[in-house]
Amino acid sequence: MIRLLSFTAAGLALLAAAPPARADAKALAAAIDRHVAARWAEAGVRSAAPADDAEFLRRVTLDVSGRIPSVAEIRAFLADQSPDKREKAVERLLDGPAYVNHWANVWKALLLPEDNAANFQLAFYVPAFEAWLRRQFADNAPYDRLVRDLVTAQLSTAADPRQAFRPDGGMDPTPIAFFMAKEVKAEELAAATSRLFLGVKLECAQCHNHPFAKWTKQQFWEYAAFFAGLQRQNGGFFGAVRDLTDRREIAIPNTSQVVQAAFLDGGEPRWKYKVGPRVTLAEWITSAENPWFARAAANRLWAQFFGVGIIDPVDDLSDENNKASHPALLDELARQFTANGHDLKFLIRAITRSKTYQLSSVQTDESQDDPRLFARMALKGLSPDQLFDSLAQATGFREVRQPRQPFVLGSGGVRAEFASKFALQEKRTEAQTSILQALSLMNGKFVADATSLERSEALAAVADAPFLDAGGKVEALFLATLTRQPRPEEKERFAKYVREGGAKKDPRAALGDVLWVLLNSPEFILNH
Amino acid sequence: MFRTPISRRDLLRLGAAGVLGVSASGWLKALARDAAAHPQRKRACILLWMSGGPSQTDTFDLKPGHANGGEFKEIATSVPGVKIGEHLPKLAKQMDRMALVRSMSTKEGDHGRATYLLRTGYLPQGPIQYPPLGALVAKELGEEADDLPGFVSVSPLRFFNPAAYTSGFLGPQYAPLVVGGNNFPIGLPISDPSAALKVQDLDAPADVSRAQADARYAMLKEMEYDFLAGRPGASTKSHQSAYERAVRLMRSSASKAFNTDEEPAALRDRYGRNGFGQGCLLARRLVERGVPFVEVTLSAAEGAPAGWDTHQDNFNQVKRLCQTLDPAWATLMEDLKEKGLLDTTLVVWMGEFGRTPRINANKGRDHFPNAWSAVLAGGGIKGGQAVGKTDAGGDGVKDRPVSVPDFLATVCAALGIDSSKQNPSNVGRPIRIVDKAARPIKEVQA
Repeated sequence: MIRLLSFTAAGLALLAAAPPARADAKALAAAIDRHVAARWAEAGVRSAAPADDAEFLRRVTLDVSGRIPSVAEIRAFLADQSPDKREKAVERLLDGPAYVNHWANVWKALLLPEDNAANFQLAFYVPAFEAWLRRQFADNAPYDRLVRDLVTAQLSTAADPRQAFRPDGGMDPTPIAFFMAKEVKAEELAAATSRLFLGVKLECAQCHNHPFAKWTKQQFWEYAAFFAGLQRQNGGFFGAVRDLTDRREIAIPNTSQVVQAAFLDGGEPRWKYKVGPRVTLAEWITSAENPWFARAAANRLWAQFFGVGIIDPVDDLSDENNKASHPALLDELARQFTANGHDLKFLIRAITRSKTYQLSSVQTDESQDDPRLFARMALKGLSPDQLFDSLAQATGFREVRQPRQPFVLGSGGVRAEFASKFALQEKRTEAQTSILQALSLMNGKFVADATSLERSEALAAVADAPFLDAGGKVEALFLATLTRQPRPEEKERFAKYVREGGAKKDPRAALGDVLWVLLNSPEFILNH
Repeated sequence: MFRTPISRRDLLRLGAAGVLGVSASGWLKALARDAAAHPQRKRACILLWMSGGPSQTDTFDLKPGHANGGEFKEIATSVPGVKIGEHLPKLAKQMDRMALVRSMSTKEGDHGRATYLLRTGYLPQGPIQYPPLGALVAKELGEEADDLPGFVSVSPLRFFNPAAYTSGFLGPQYAPLVVGGNNFPIGLPISDPSAALKVQDLDAPADVSRAQADARYAMLKEMEYDFLAGRPGASTKSHQSAYERAVRLMRSSASKAFNTDEEPAALRDRYGRNGFGQGCLLARRLVERGVPFVEVTLSAAEGAPAGWDTHQDNFNQVKRLCQTLDPAWATLMEDLKEKGLLDTTLVVWMGEFGRTPRINANKGRDHFPNAWSAVLAGGGIKGGQAVGKTDAGGDGVKDRPVSVPDFLATVCAALGIDSSKQNPSNVGRPIRIVDKAARPIKEVQA
């Protein structure tokens, strides 16, 4: 306990405040705004204007559902006059299938960064992992349960391919890919689970005691000992895994030292009869008393919506040099997350309802420059999936789902191609475009098809719409791509280009040019 | 600092202004040749990156007669007293332009961390995004107005540490232009190297005319301008800069550099008709056109799917890899010399670490950062020597240990770059190109 005290004063505050009073999303949204505004006052910040309806809907749809809104959604939203239409829109998105897919994508990228085109062994386990994640978000599984189910996943037989794969080659939903990606090694599982679920970076302590870091090599291996019972049998990557549930100690490599499993806060596990160490660890990780669990989750979710965490980098909560921009706010978010049953949708409701989240991304004052003051919405890069799904939404592309086949190059369809070209970037608020990405969007097959009258039904439908003049057609393309009406001067400029037929002297082809411009614009490629 | 008296760009500008009036193409070629020979020509670096960590005991620091020595024999080179592995016979003839560094001592044995360390000069440290050597050189020796990017990476295997293949805190304008790098799984040789090494999506679709493409781009610039005005910041700037450079690449004749099939068939054969061989040929073409930094990765060869990471079956694998490496690198040296480029082009050979001298139970060698070899060749280097020594079994450095900063500072010196120069970083404080503990290897400096 003494160690815990020195680690985190904020964590202590969390303990002292238990049991927390439960607030609703509206009250938490107000608390967010209060905390953020208090920092503005200290720093002399003038915040940006509120986002208009179109900017809000585009942003919240990308953040909650991982794609831009459809034209029908925009029109309905803009026409709606009710005062609570923004909350209603969020509820609609939270209930939709895109929510499930998007958050499964987000968590897959976090939990399984090892999954890439080169890792073809892991690819056998990925579809079942994705199915497992989708099930979690479809059921709105409480986050603590999701983490417990992952950490305690049944492995003793499931990792044996003869048992795990059905006769048709498929696999029932299971998170075992997480363990396979970490090669079922105690040290890798320790580093990954502490970083992902507690925001505690332990891996540097694996080999050395660092003079200035708080984690010792001994602590690292004590934590790793919870996974010591997992042992891969011969047979390499596809070999069966044994799970010795009574093994709670591990030898530190290249030493004669053996350490017993112990929690990171110095607490000693209370072992129960026939309960394995992973179960005991998972209970400690997800317990309401754990000083890191809820804060790490709330911080990560915040970063998902604002592009930067209250503590950033988000997976390094225990480093004293990595200070929170709004420590009291983070504590409040964590407290309410716990009090509301670790409900991820609750946090999403509160965040998206806040005035802070609903600020425009347009800069009106230089004091809004620091993204950590949240004085205007930061521009965020899109993940490969967000970009692909938004392009598909805008251009009416219907994806034929092609699961990636292990050992088959180029399988997985256009989506997999995008994933390899538009890799997820760590700093989403400083998203970089490469020359190759620019070339791909300017000249690549996807956009070429979407902007060709012969190959794009959606474009042809707009081009041939008898009830729309040039201005109306331009307007339709703006709504489909940028989720807004063109400004009068934009409408005039583009409509004139279409009427005159552009370089080809063909108004229909000119409309393809307009669509090309919109799809390549930074306004389309960035989440604002 | 090392600029040609009149650059090709200046000429083009003059041409566009109508001063020249007639096509410059006839004597432009002659001018390029003169420029290549000019003593103050801009320097360039070609990094031959041996992903996975090559075995020094079987390439440049053999231990014949010792239990660690393994199966390979030593052969003489063009320099008396300097011997190398038997599977590098062509390279042996180039030894007078090469300096072997046999005492690399780097302390990091994990692929990911070592890849980062050797490529950036620093260990991964929290939020600091250290740029790799290629980006640093591109910033020092390249120019924003150049048609080709300053950093080209040929068939990289980014898997070990993707951050080591970005431009770190230097920003997107120094990011590598990657060719042959998408969806290359480990271990599969490239079936059609000359096609694979082209820039993807360089040409507008066939049904889009040039006038149409111009109109599109003009409209895009207006949209971009409007959006940027209200939302300044790194993301919007990066979008703008990437599109500008992409269009420049599409429009200029400079992108012809990627057409390796323009070269004589005999020369292409000499390099080796595989991804690495043709990649080295591409590197020469790019350097010839003023690209300051090109790296070519050798991460797999026919029959050696795991590349240099030879935990098993080391000797067969290394032999196969050398059969790809030897003709490609030796031809690169000869070709650079013939084109008058060798005196201004530094060629660096290294991986993220070496391999254990001791042979393991699977006839393999494991990761070994304690004592291994890297090579410096060509421009700025006093060739014909081996620097540093390992002990009888190769288990440790006996003489003149060389750290990563020492090595990278030597590279900078050969390129005429001041390695103590500081760049602003993403964490506020300025960071030196190479750590201040660096002591360049004086013996190899020409």
